[in-house]
Amino acid sequence: MLHFCEWLEKNPWIVAIDSSILISLIFEILHYSGFFLLVGSTAIVDLRVMGLAARSRTPAEVANQLFPWMWTGLSMAVFSGFFMFAGDAADFYQAITFRVKILVVLVALAFGLIVRRQVPRWSELPSIPVGAKLVALLSLLLWIGAILISVEVPAISGVG
Amino acid sequence: MLPFFMAIAKWLQNTWWALDISSSTWAYPFVQMTHFAGLSLWIGTNLSLDLRLLGVGRKRQTAAQLSDALFAWNWTGFFIAVAGGFMLFSSAATKYIPNPAFEIKLGILIPLGVLWHILVQWHARAREQAERVTPFGRVAGLIELLLWFSVITAAVSIPNYDTH
Repeated sequence: MLHFCEWLEKNPWIVAIDSSILISLIFEILHYSGFFLLVGSTAIVDLRVMGLAARSRTPAEVANQLFPWMWTGLSMAVFSGFFMFAGDAADFYQAITFRVKILVVLVALAFGLIVRRQVPRWSELPSIPVGAKLVALLSLLLWIGAILISVEVPAISGVG
Repeated sequence: MLPFFMAIAKWLQNTWWALDISSSTWAYPFVQMTHFAGLSLWIGTNLSLDLRLLGVGRKRQTAAQLSDALFAWNWTGFFIAVAGGFMLFSSAATKYIPNPAFEIKLGILIPLGVLWHILVQWHARAREQAERVTPFGRVAGLIELLLWFSVITAAVSIPNYDTH
């Protein structure tokens, strides 16, 4: 894997992208915007499942409106994130904080998928089950954790 | 005008909370997390409403219904982002004040974005009760979308103008 990362960061396309201030800036803007869209829309759905937001609409209605933006935000963040990673791939790969970040994001996404699949069923019940509220709370905490570990990557590992 | 703001920045940088943040290894990332969590709520919900006004995405809820549903957490996100941003600014205020990207972000784009958002939100709740959005609503949504992208552009440009 390390060899692949070393090959990736020496790829002429990646070198050209990484050395362009303008392209790097565009990827950073895409990464932040995508991330805000992903976390913002997921958080509202989680808060609705927990009974703390948009109580005038059912959880399924809120999720139906916002989930497409969750996937759009995720695509934007992953696409730009790949190029941000590629420029210093070997350093990122070896940074423990970066590995933890990817793990936390993957677990948070798995929770997002559980909410996505279950929310129509939860909406039909007379009241939202405690288990569902717990899943939503964990999803929210995982995204807060993802933000924290993301800012720790440059702070602790000195990459990014 | 700059010496006046620099004097405030120097005072702010020496307050107990600013000294606590800048001297601690763990406090700065926690404050950054607070700022980004607030921004996720604020910008995520702003963009969702703007995209609805633009007629992009699902249309089962009108822009008025969506704006009502998001209102409380939209502004909660704003106040969390402002609180976190203020703490981050305090910890290195004299570095931020002369930075042109920061000046444009805080002096022009954010006040404009917030005022425009208040107008968009008011318009959506008062006038966008049909599935089809009015032409003014669409233009207003597009302008707000561009304004927040400009804010993010200015924010990520701050390190490029950092002379320290």
